[in-house]
Amino acid sequence: MSAPTTNIPVAIPAGASSGAPARQAPRTIAGSLSGGIPGARGVASRLLHGTPGRMRLFGLLGVLAAVLLGAISVNALLASQSAVERAANNSAQVVRNQSIHVDLLRADAVATNAFLVGGLESPESRASYEGAMGRVASGIAEAAAAQPADGNALGVLAERVQTYAALVEQARSNNRLGLPVGAQYLTQASAGLRADAIPIVTQVVKANEDRAKKEFDRSNSSLQLLVGLVSLIGLVALAVWLAKRTHRYLNPSLTGAIALLLVALFVTATVITGVGSAARDVSNGNYQRAVALANVTTAANDARANESLTLIRRGSGASNEQAWVADRNTVDATLATLNDSATLQDQWGEYVDAHVEVRSLDNGGRWDDAVKLSTSTADGGAAKTFGTFDVSVTQARDSAGKATVTTLEELGGAAPLIAVVVALAALVASWLIIRGVGQRIEEYR
Amino acid sequence: MTTMLSTLRRRLSVLVTVAGLGALAGCSGVTYAETQLPTTPAPKPSSSAPAVPAATCTNATQSYDPLPSLPSRGDITDASMRRIISKGFITVGVSADTYLFGARNAFTGGIEGFDIDMARAVAKAIFGDPNKVQLRVITAGDRIPLLKDPDRPIDMVARNMSMTCGRWNDIGFSAEYYHSGQKVLVSKALPGAKDLGLADLKGKRVCAPTGTTSLTKLQEVKGPVVVTAGTHTGCLVLLQQGKADAITGDDTVLAGLAAQDPNTVVTSAKAITVEPYGLGLNKADVYLARYVNRVIADLEADGEWKTIYNRWLAGPLGPAPAPPTPVYGR
Repeated sequence: MSAPTTNIPVAIPAGASSGAPARQAPRTIAGSLSGGIPGARGVASRLLHGTPGRMRLFGLLGVLAAVLLGAISVNALLASQSAVERAANNSAQVVRNQSIHVDLLRADAVATNAFLVGGLESPESRASYEGAMGRVASGIAEAAAAQPADGNALGVLAERVQTYAALVEQARSNNRLGLPVGAQYLTQASAGLRADAIPIVTQVVKANEDRAKKEFDRSNSSLQLLVGLVSLIGLVALAVWLAKRTHRYLNPSLTGAIALLLVALFVTATVITGVGSAARDVSNGNYQRAVALANVTTAANDARANESLTLIRRGSGASNEQAWVADRNTVDATLATLNDSATLQDQWGEYVDAHVEVRSLDNGGRWDDAVKLSTSTADGGAAKTFGTFDVSVTQARDSAGKATVTTLEELGGAAPLIAVVVALAALVASWLIIRGVGQRIEEYR
Repeated sequence: MTTMLSTLRRRLSVLVTVAGLGALAGCSGVTYAETQLPTTPAPKPSSSAPAVPAATCTNATQSYDPLPSLPSRGDITDASMRRIISKGFITVGVSADTYLFGARNAFTGGIEGFDIDMARAVAKAIFGDPNKVQLRVITAGDRIPLLKDPDRPIDMVARNMSMTCGRWNDIGFSAEYYHSGQKVLVSKALPGAKDLGLADLKGKRVCAPTGTTSLTKLQEVKGPVVVTAGTHTGCLVLLQQGKADAITGDDTVLAGLAAQDPNTVVTSAKAITVEPYGLGLNKADVYLARYVNRVIADLEADGEWKTIYNRWLAGPLGPAPAPPTPVYGR
């Protein structure tokens, strides 16, 4: 903008030389240049002319700085709060999808194990299968509602889960008729579940883990406050300039404004770093624990299904036993990294012992005894020891997941209130600046 | 001056409002990219390998001479048999889904059928106990690789295995213990289903398990589209899911499949091959083969073979015929 400075004669105090060139400009030219709104331009020019004009200009800049500081602080506070909120939502979505993952594997473990026993499945195992599949169905609906970005992937998942359930039912009805084709349907169901459905859940979990991580990083938005700091420095410079220009060192209003803004900035910074570090604590604490325990649960249930499949495949299940070993290593390694996992480790160890016994029976040609031990709900039986571990690890995961979400939800709670207070403080500071500068302009005349 | 100040103030309040709105807008602007589906590698087109011309010979059913009589366990010195005896059981590769021959009983969970009884008869001869057998479920394609494996994961195969000249190059066989032939099972929905032969199924999808003589024969016939599965029951699943129109295999196996699905029928077309079943053995285990041949000969002599046949096959195939005549002298 290179509009003509002015053509209006304004009282120029001695010593103010900056307006000099403008004063020489002929009125007519400026008038013609100012275009269709000579009035507004004229008023602005008159207001900004000379020392009072500069006072007005700097005052205006001061107000802008105060408003900017307020806006930045409010933005940073609200951004932190909503980042924490989104982190909570994303964490909840991670947990939700991990539950779907576990329940799918649990359903498969139950279905294959029931098949192994032979004859009609027990009402308990049927109920357990239906419970798991029911939770999968409602879990998918909830997860799709909670995160629209997952909608498409979860839609495909729902379709694959339906295929799985249909194959299991076909296996079941053929099995009831005593037809060997039932076993083939079950094999197809299990293989399809692992090849087509599980990778989608894994992908959804991973996407939400990434989202949660991003939000944990965003929860500390204190970097924005540097802009606020620069504004504050600008205000101090204004105060210094004003003091020099008017030889009045203390301007109570302006000083009050600066002090108020300093306090606002400090409070904002404290709140934000507090939220950020608390969020980091959750991220490294309960959240990580919930994710780790969910991984343990999925690996354990996968192992259990593989134990059944190894037996069902009667000697040709070497690949399933390899999968079992890989799952076991995952569980062992993950549990070792967690605090308070001694009980879980003991319970898992008992199941591992039972499994090793199952394998040695089967490898020793005693398949029937191996099946008996694998499906045994008596003490020391694989079904019993696994069930105990599964219940404990699921409880531990649920409590860590709940703790994550509730802690995060509480974290940002005070931020909006503080944002309102900071915004009000910035407005009050703006008024104080106007008042302070206005006072000096009055005095100057 | 006051008017100017008030103008300034008014402008400022507008500015503050604008800045405030901008700040609020900045908070709610997070949207996530849609979760990507995992990329699945495109399935490799199953190479319908060109049919390898079958090795020809005239003595596919010729096995080794049986031992004159069954020696007692302590007297056996053959290394392979000593290994089995010290292990305490014989490991036999079987099918768990060939209804009537080797299939899992859905009610008891046990595996049973004609082939299983043959395996148990061998176990009974060696150990005096038909239960001293470890049944290892294998697919048709597993049979030869597992028998050839130097680690000896299995000692014997009792899994409707046809004796062929080509297979004799890789493994050994007992004498023939069952006589079968390759036929076709079709969906009753096909027009004229009852009389269709393989050659009539032009452009139809015909399924056979990988690694079987049935598949080799199917690939020799021009016309049908070849579909494969791991087992015959896998083929039945494909047929039930509309991914195959027909299944080809040994008549006995097909009878077992037809019994599981009333919508299918084994056609009356003449068997296109002769399938002599033998118990598969490691090529080096000649002594074991001679031992097993004695067991089979005794089963056939004392009527036990007929009992086994009637137990499993009398229903769908009628009463037992005379057992196949063994050919020895290899």
